[in-house]
Amino acid sequence: MVAPTIIGLLVLNYYPLIQTIILSFSKTKTFGAMEFNGLNNYIDMFQSPEFWKATWNTILFCILTVPVGIILALLVAILLNAKVKFKGGFRAIYFLPMVCAPAAIAMVWRWMFNGEYGIINAILGVKINWLTNPQTAIIACAIVAIWSSIGYDAVLLLSGLQGISKSYYEAARIDGAGRIKQFFSITLPMISPTLFVTLIMRMMASLKVYDLIYMMVDQSNPVLPDVQSLMYLFYREAFVAGNKGYASAIVVWTILLIGIVTVVQFIGQKKWVNYDV
Amino acid sequence: MKHIKRAALLLATVAMLFSMTACSNNPASGSDGKLTMQIWDNSQREAMQALADAYHEINPDVTIEVQVTSWDEYWTKLEAAAGSKNLPDIFWMHTNYILLYADSGMLADVTDLYDDDTYSHYSDVSIANTQGSDGRMYAVPKDKDTVCLVYNKEMFDQAGVSYPDENWTWDDLVDASQKIYDATGKYGYMAYCDEQLGYWNFVYQNGGYILNDDKTAAGFDQPATIDAMKFYIGLQDNEWCPDQTYFAETAPGNAFFSGQGAMFFEGTWNLLYEMKNYPEMQGKWDVAVLPKCPNPVSGDGRATISNGLGYATASYNQDNETVMDFLKWLGTEEAQQIHSSYGAAISGYEGTEQAWVDAFDQFDYRLNVEACIDMFDYSVQSVNDATRPNWKSKVNDEILKIYGGQLSVDEGLANCNTIINEAIAEG
Repeated sequence: MVAPTIIGLLVLNYYPLIQTIILSFSKTKTFGAMEFNGLNNYIDMFQSPEFWKATWNTILFCILTVPVGIILALLVAILLNAKVKFKGGFRAIYFLPMVCAPAAIAMVWRWMFNGEYGIINAILGVKINWLTNPQTAIIACAIVAIWSSIGYDAVLLLSGLQGISKSYYEAARIDGAGRIKQFFSITLPMISPTLFVTLIMRMMASLKVYDLIYMMVDQSNPVLPDVQSLMYLFYREAFVAGNKGYASAIVVWTILLIGIVTVVQFIGQKKWVNYDV
Repeated sequence: MKHIKRAALLLATVAMLFSMTACSNNPASGSDGKLTMQIWDNSQREAMQALADAYHEINPDVTIEVQVTSWDEYWTKLEAAAGSKNLPDIFWMHTNYILLYADSGMLADVTDLYDDDTYSHYSDVSIANTQGSDGRMYAVPKDKDTVCLVYNKEMFDQAGVSYPDENWTWDDLVDASQKIYDATGKYGYMAYCDEQLGYWNFVYQNGGYILNDDKTAAGFDQPATIDAMKFYIGLQDNEWCPDQTYFAETAPGNAFFSGQGAMFFEGTWNLLYEMKNYPEMQGKWDVAVLPKCPNPVSGDGRATISNGLGYATASYNQDNETVMDFLKWLGTEEAQQIHSSYGAAISGYEGTEQAWVDAFDQFDYRLNVEACIDMFDYSVQSVNDATRPNWKSKVNDEILKIYGGQLSVDEGLANCNTIINEAIAEG
């Protein structure tokens, strides 16, 4: 009965993966023609400053979005778990960004960040060219990424929070533990498996970021090199410049990068994730 | 249980194989009387539908479905479709790509489509825009365009500057921009990073070139090209011109139609759309011929980039009578007349320009669109060669670096020259 899933995986995931790896060792020409090219794509890639810049941008984006995003999501989850009125309404509101199309989100934020006519500058009373200044462009993208991911992460964490038995808190209260102490001694350890999963997923999504940056920073924007992520660079190489072999090498590198980060996280989890209930 | 599993697996595999062969075995398109026509410009959908309907009127057993995709997606899709021999029956071709497609043998040869002299009714530029490197025709000319100067009349009035006319030079452009900025605080001529609607025009007016005549070398090392590029890029140093970071957020057309700037270069294919889309601006703006270069290195200082699209079909449709007959009809005077009358694009067929001009009579304020037609006399074919898709975005990146101050103009243009020459050498 697992056959449909396995066939789906084989055809839609593993076959393209193998093809991509083959492609990364090839020189491609238009309309699907290609010839074996050895390691040349990789040599070109590792010598390209644009590539290293994109790798750094991707990692920076990850650093900017993941910790802040997860902490905020946890905060929201705790608030939504508390006894507040209109809890259902708040949950829906926080989850809404997840329902919106990323492209639509990016379009709206792009106008809000507009240096001349944007609402953000109008409210802050400053004149920052958010999306055209190399220092702020990636921060602006990170803000939108965090905003759109909080709801989803919060719902995941909320389900974790709801799995914690009330009796732990009652016992802690009798022993005289305060709110803060309760959070660090009960909530955090109990929720750590969910937190770990959320972290892994958010990290992968951040390393693969493309659509958001593509919509916020278009190709006529001079700051492009300072915000271009690996997947954006891949898109430009594969579909704008038509260099699919080289683009595949970028993909393979990104897979390796995600793999390494994930393995490190799995090793690191032993130190902080608590599986004994 | 095991048998069921195996049967399911077998079934799924067979189904997959079947669907794969279905992809690669293109059934003779049009055999059921249904053709698809793929285009990228939504504002021309109406005109294309009118053509489809008119053809259906003459040939009731053929129905043409018009499909629109966005410009970026169009080329990604088309390339994939070409690789798997699944191209739409009829599709638009652009000068940026026609040489690539034609030289790779993807397009049907339409040189001998007509028994009569139909092609002699198209200008040399129109014909050149639909030719492959071998000089054969791989698309039926659809339209032709020019680049014109769009200006805000109210701002000119406020600054007391007379409207642009055919005697205008680059100096007048700069002078008027300064006066308008001083009088109104609005931007003057908005010069931004763009090839067809920007620096190409200046380069060719100055007697320079981007590619030499036989398309074997780039021209970014030519003094005339470098001069014009320095002039054009340098315009952003003036207080009356926004810098490139502004344009990265606000397209010049948006800035113009929201009353932020007085002038920009626009392609003829957008004029009707802009009249319709900005009703409150009607009567406040007009079009003029491009200002000329006052002291060109060679030539008379006049040029405007003229591009043209074509209707093409896949090479495997070479003997498909349904497709070829529709294609043939699209190039006739009758079809081109219908096409022009919708006002979106100027038909390639000479003598049908008036229908395009007349389309602007529908508005209370009549744009001086004759100016756009006048420029065909000195229009220059849009720059293209077979490797253009490979160098286009890279050259653009270099020019952006010049705008961003990371490179000097000389360094940046030298890089552009190398990029193009290397692309040509690689083939």
